[in-house]
Amino acid sequence: MSKNYEYVPEPKLIKGDHTFGSITNLIAKTPLSSTPKLWYLAFAVANLLLIILLGSVGYLIWDGIGIWGLNNPAGWGWAIINFVWWVGIGHAGTLISAILFLFRQGWRTAINRFAEAMTIFAVMCAGLFPAIHVGRIWVIYWVFPIPNQMGVWPNFSSPLLWDVFAVSTYFTVSLLFWYVGLVPDFATLRDKAKSKAAKITYGIAALGWTGSFRNWWNYEKAYMILAGLATPLVLSVHTIVSFDFAVSLIPGWHSTIFPPYFVAGAIYSGFAMVLSLMLVARKIYGLEEIMNIDIMEKMNLVMMVTGNLVAFAYLTEGFVAWYSGYIYEQGIFWLYVVGPYAWGFWILMFCNVITPQFLWSKSIRRNVTLTFIISIIVNIGMWFERFMIAVVSLSTDFMPSSWDYYSPTLWDILIYVGTFGLFFTFFLLFLRFMPMVAIAEVKGVMPQADPHNYDEETNDFIEARAEPTMANQQTVQQKSE
Amino acid sequence: MSDEPNTTYWKSLNELAQNEEYKKFAEREFPENAPELSDGFSRRTFLRMMGASVALAGFAACRRPVQKILPYSKQPENIVPGIPNYYASAMPFQDALTGLVIENHEGRPTKVEGNEMHPASLGSTSKFNQAATLNMYDPERSREVRQNGDVASYAAFVSFCNQHFSDTGRNIAFISEANSSPTFNDLKDRALSQFPNAQWVTYEPFGEENALEGTNIAFGQRLRTVNHFDEASVIVALDDDFLNPAAHKNSVQNTKEFTQGRDLETGDDISRLYAVESTFTVTGSNADNRFRLKSSEIEQFVRALGEELSVSGISAGGSNKFTNHEWISELAKDLQNNRSQSILTLGNEHRPELHAAVAAINGALNNAGSTVTYHELPYAENQSNREVFSNIVDGLNDETIDTVVIVGGNPVFNAPADLDMANALNAAEHVIHLSDYYDETSALAQWHVNRAHFMEIWSDGYSYTGAASIIQPQIEPLHAGKSAIEFLNTIITGEKSDGYSLVQKTWQNRISGGFQNGWEQILHDGIASEETYPEVTPSLSGGLGAAMQNGADQNESGEGIELVIRPDSKLFDGRYANNGWLQELPDPMTKITWDNVALMSPKTAEDLGVEAAGLGVAEVDLLTIRANGTQVEIPAWVQPGHADGSITVTVGYGRKGIGNVADAVGVDTYPLRTSQNMLFTEDINVNNTGELYEIACTQDHNSMEGRSLLRQATLQEYRENPDFSQYEEAYNAELPGEEWANEHDADAPLSIFDAIAGKDYPDYQPQWGMTIDLNSCIGCGTCTIACQAENNIPVIGKDEVKNGREMHWIRTDRYFEGDKDNPNAMHQPVPCMHCELAPCEQVCPVAATTHSEDGMNQMTYNRCIGTRYCANNCPYKVRRFNFFNYTDEFLTDGEDPEVIQMAMNPNVTVRFRGVMEKCTYCVQRVNSAKIKTQIETDGSMKPPDGMVKTACQQACPSDAIYFGDLTDPESEVSKTKRNNRNYLLLEELNTRPRTSYMAKVTNPNPQLA
Repeated sequence: MSKNYEYVPEPKLIKGDHTFGSITNLIAKTPLSSTPKLWYLAFAVANLLLIILLGSVGYLIWDGIGIWGLNNPAGWGWAIINFVWWVGIGHAGTLISAILFLFRQGWRTAINRFAEAMTIFAVMCAGLFPAIHVGRIWVIYWVFPIPNQMGVWPNFSSPLLWDVFAVSTYFTVSLLFWYVGLVPDFATLRDKAKSKAAKITYGIAALGWTGSFRNWWNYEKAYMILAGLATPLVLSVHTIVSFDFAVSLIPGWHSTIFPPYFVAGAIYSGFAMVLSLMLVARKIYGLEEIMNIDIMEKMNLVMMVTGNLVAFAYLTEGFVAWYSGYIYEQGIFWLYVVGPYAWGFWILMFCNVITPQFLWSKSIRRNVTLTFIISIIVNIGMWFERFMIAVVSLSTDFMPSSWDYYSPTLWDILIYVGTFGLFFTFFLLFLRFMPMVAIAEVKGVMPQADPHNYDEETNDFIEARAEPTMANQQTVQQKSE
Repeated sequence: MSDEPNTTYWKSLNELAQNEEYKKFAEREFPENAPELSDGFSRRTFLRMMGASVALAGFAACRRPVQKILPYSKQPENIVPGIPNYYASAMPFQDALTGLVIENHEGRPTKVEGNEMHPASLGSTSKFNQAATLNMYDPERSREVRQNGDVASYAAFVSFCNQHFSDTGRNIAFISEANSSPTFNDLKDRALSQFPNAQWVTYEPFGEENALEGTNIAFGQRLRTVNHFDEASVIVALDDDFLNPAAHKNSVQNTKEFTQGRDLETGDDISRLYAVESTFTVTGSNADNRFRLKSSEIEQFVRALGEELSVSGISAGGSNKFTNHEWISELAKDLQNNRSQSILTLGNEHRPELHAAVAAINGALNNAGSTVTYHELPYAENQSNREVFSNIVDGLNDETIDTVVIVGGNPVFNAPADLDMANALNAAEHVIHLSDYYDETSALAQWHVNRAHFMEIWSDGYSYTGAASIIQPQIEPLHAGKSAIEFLNTIITGEKSDGYSLVQKTWQNRISGGFQNGWEQILHDGIASEETYPEVTPSLSGGLGAAMQNGADQNESGEGIELVIRPDSKLFDGRYANNGWLQELPDPMTKITWDNVALMSPKTAEDLGVEAAGLGVAEVDLLTIRANGTQVEIPAWVQPGHADGSITVTVGYGRKGIGNVADAVGVDTYPLRTSQNMLFTEDINVNNTGELYEIACTQDHNSMEGRSLLRQATLQEYRENPDFSQYEEAYNAELPGEEWANEHDADAPLSIFDAIAGKDYPDYQPQWGMTIDLNSCIGCGTCTIACQAENNIPVIGKDEVKNGREMHWIRTDRYFEGDKDNPNAMHQPVPCMHCELAPCEQVCPVAATTHSEDGMNQMTYNRCIGTRYCANNCPYKVRRFNFFNYTDEFLTDGEDPEVIQMAMNPNVTVRFRGVMEKCTYCVQRVNSAKIKTQIETDGSMKPPDGMVKTACQQACPSDAIYFGDLTDPESEVSKTKRNNRNYLLLEELNTRPRTSYMAKVTNPNPQLA
């Protein structure tokens, strides 16, 4: 059978009539110009929330875990829910920057810096919770395998210990990855900065970047290696977080489906969070041409796929509960659906099962307002998913005599709200002082970056000259005669 | 020799300068502003006195050098710090003593245990006995004599008595608590002869007065009824909660005997318990057949039963609604078949005529003399105390009585509302009140004398059945309180009194042979003799028929709602209201803490529009109950199994000015109780206010949800299938993993030690295990209090219980099963299971919970960082977390925290906030026994069977808990593990618990089931 190949050009990744110079100017202008009033306002709000967080955490450490709504069956509540939720959100950044990098997805360049920053700040928020949720925070260093005079090691069979390693490794690698990507851009800022302070600061951060071939060669290698390192971490960190639950014997927790289910849920919520932030930021900073509708649609597609994976996991849980004949698993599933927390279950069903179905429609996928609303709903849904898993399973497990109802206190809520303060304080600083789009990487996916195929007149690729082997922006469509 | 030393050593320049300020400072143990005891009893004083007394007394822990008390057993040659001594004593509860052995740490009693030689204890205790230590160390116990509310000296009181009672013609009314002490009763006789115009009444708000009057009607003599539950085949409890210490003062012995009668291991048939009652009581929950009946209908039931059994003198007045009832015919049949082996027993508060009728039925069934015996009380009054009491109140109101002496008791709080005791006492010129607390009555008294706790005094008394004991003090009165005998003697003689010599005087002519030897023997044993009160074989007097005529016409009870007032299962009549352990103990049936409620059946609740609380619903409706001319607002509680059309409330709550624990907890329901309506009031008016009230209940879900957690079968089913409690039978499925185990040639259940050591168990170590016999357990909650007392478990308060953070290491789960209106209730105590494959151990990130070589799941508090992961992963949910610094709050709260700190067990660590805790199998007891065995046997670490008893096991009145070494095949616990009723809780999880259960077997009448 003979085959005829036809090149179907993808839409341009960067919209508008941009040159390398205009991209640099567009992105570098924010860190280098004076601070807008709106930023101060936003920063003040974020700071206020941060102060609430610090105050609440201070009171928590002063008075004890009892200020939360935890009780005897439900030893974990909002703190662990928030931990898993923030870690989940923290998945998108590294997925976008590492896995999509390895898969040569050029569209990632528009959002990877942004998403990575979000990841790092989300993991910081997440990391706070395991630390503050322990009863005696002053001896929390015992979870680290530090040689000590007591001659006692941590218990290496505890998933919580794996968590310590998983999350700290993930945070370290994400931070390094982010920073390595930032080096050429810091150099750009250094070169464009007018003020002495900015020149020095960005200069130090740029680590003496000269833009030489050797610099680029090392950079590309380092970036590739870190992407390779980060890729398994994306999968492992939430797998291990899911082990906190799956390794236990509590019905509703003790389940082999948890690792893939948690990873899918994490990507789902991470993409939703990136979308929520991106759709606001692109508007304010005039980045619509870079973070454009095509990219939003691609992200929506990822959300649709992972959302349906999560929905499928729910279905599987129900099936397994029934098929296993395990009365406790059946009991807990039944309690999800009709028990005292059934309201949470139905919110979850709406947010995570029904909502992603809207994304089958192309027009919704390309609608900024609807996408924004969906992204918010997805994040709410993913919070409730963790709520159902953590709280319901614990509070209604094996012994009906010990069943108790969990409800949060003001302090649970304040600390959760406060983490948004932590998150946005850092995020606003990031938006203000760092290039929020990877300048160097974005340039790499512009037509200008491909000198062999670039047509200066049309400011586009020359189709006839393009070769499938090298055109990473192009897809090949098979046509059968 | 000069006082000044020749060489001056100085600690600081201030001291050298002989600064007055510094001298004071140096004398104080604590710097200025640090809290110290105000009454001159600081820790230093305590230690100083301790040191002096040890030096003087030599071998006895008592701090009075001349009054020697003797150790019961295990006596070291000298006081060895850190090694407790054990002294026999007894706890009076009304007029019944329970023999105790009290653990004494360097002169500080910390824990009570039952005295195995004492018939009312047989080594066990009730929850009130267990809670007694906290009562003694209650910082809010009255600490001083008060005159018109102001602090006065005891000397002032003595001189007042000297002067006031020199006029022997005074019209004096003595109101006393029931007291069996021969010394006390001698003094009572002396008082009555010394003051010819005096009247004496024994007043107890809940007591056996009606039962005594009943025997008076039936036999013409006030006699004590003693039921021998171990000898009965059929027991009919008519509104009688005889297993509950709050409802029967001999509950421990009753429980022992009842459990003996239900012992399956003898191979004989077990007894059958019928309960006919309104409130769902502990006894009712242990009944094989239970009939819900309004308390006001019990009389008709008894009449119908009497008529069915053709007991002369009892008629149903022709016929009543129970005449042809299946319960009457079945009951009559069963009773007839078990003549002389059955017991009918009636609740104390029912009217005397009904008690007489029950006595007549017992007589007609030949039970009298075999299963039911009647005994003459040496101190019984020949009068109806309730009548005398109301006469005294009349006398007070007429101002014909000028002096009232109240010996214990709190009549202003608990006397029938219609007597208006407060008003009556206001009319009296002189009110003298001896009491534990500065309470409602004390506030109206000119003189309040603080009473000493029974652990601080010399006294004596009889057990319920008449075994005499001497109460010996364990510690000098902490607050210089006086005992009832000292108080009474001061009133009679006008002089300071000394309980020791008073008691000795009584016993001078009771001890035959050498007095000193006999005295010491009694102190050592804790019991003088096991003799009972003289038994009489009474014959029915003619009065019964006439008495029963009275009331025969009132045969139809009202259609309206009745109100039943009962003593509280934890606070009794309110005397234990300031005891945090008891307040926080979940009620055996409702599992409510820190509150009293109006109990009603689901149907009555529906009629009143009351919603049941449950999972996620802690708020209940507030009711207004109008009865007897007053009204009370009280939260409603739906209690499945309660009689329809009946509401039960308990008393003792709603206190003011007693103490931080008692005040503002619950509702005072005494105003609803009048002399005519001591038990029930018919046709009350109940309104749902629509307001909500939050209840701290420790069990929100009452159904087992089809999970076979608590396994039971009828006797017939058990005989047909002795293995009914095994997993395969309970679930009709193979135990998961068993197939694998069989294929891999392993015995199921597997043991962790198989894999590790290649042998069953490390043979140089004992392997501890526990078995809880659900067939014996009655669900009373004594184990919880015993555990709390032994293991320094803090009281956390209502709010924290409401938050679901109760700290009890052993809880008793109560499940309902069957019909919603008339369910079976079952009790299951749950301590830590000490799983061999403990899920908690695997998940702790810092290895704070690990296994010991002797097979215990240990909790290392110092290592715990408080992730709570272990508690999450515990399928039995027995782990308890210190969400706040509970111990600190419990032990340093209030003005004088050092007193309550003395109640703590020095061998058990108190836990800081942020750490997990749980049942340790009383590791402190285990290890001290192991150390002792190692020393005594030259190296063996295996204590002989029975040497280690856990606190719960030792206290349990039904002997439901077995504990011991599993490597000893002949140990009691090993035998129970081989029993076919033995099963593991949640066995399918393969946690391999060391604690197991023995299934419950009931013996219902199939015709009534």
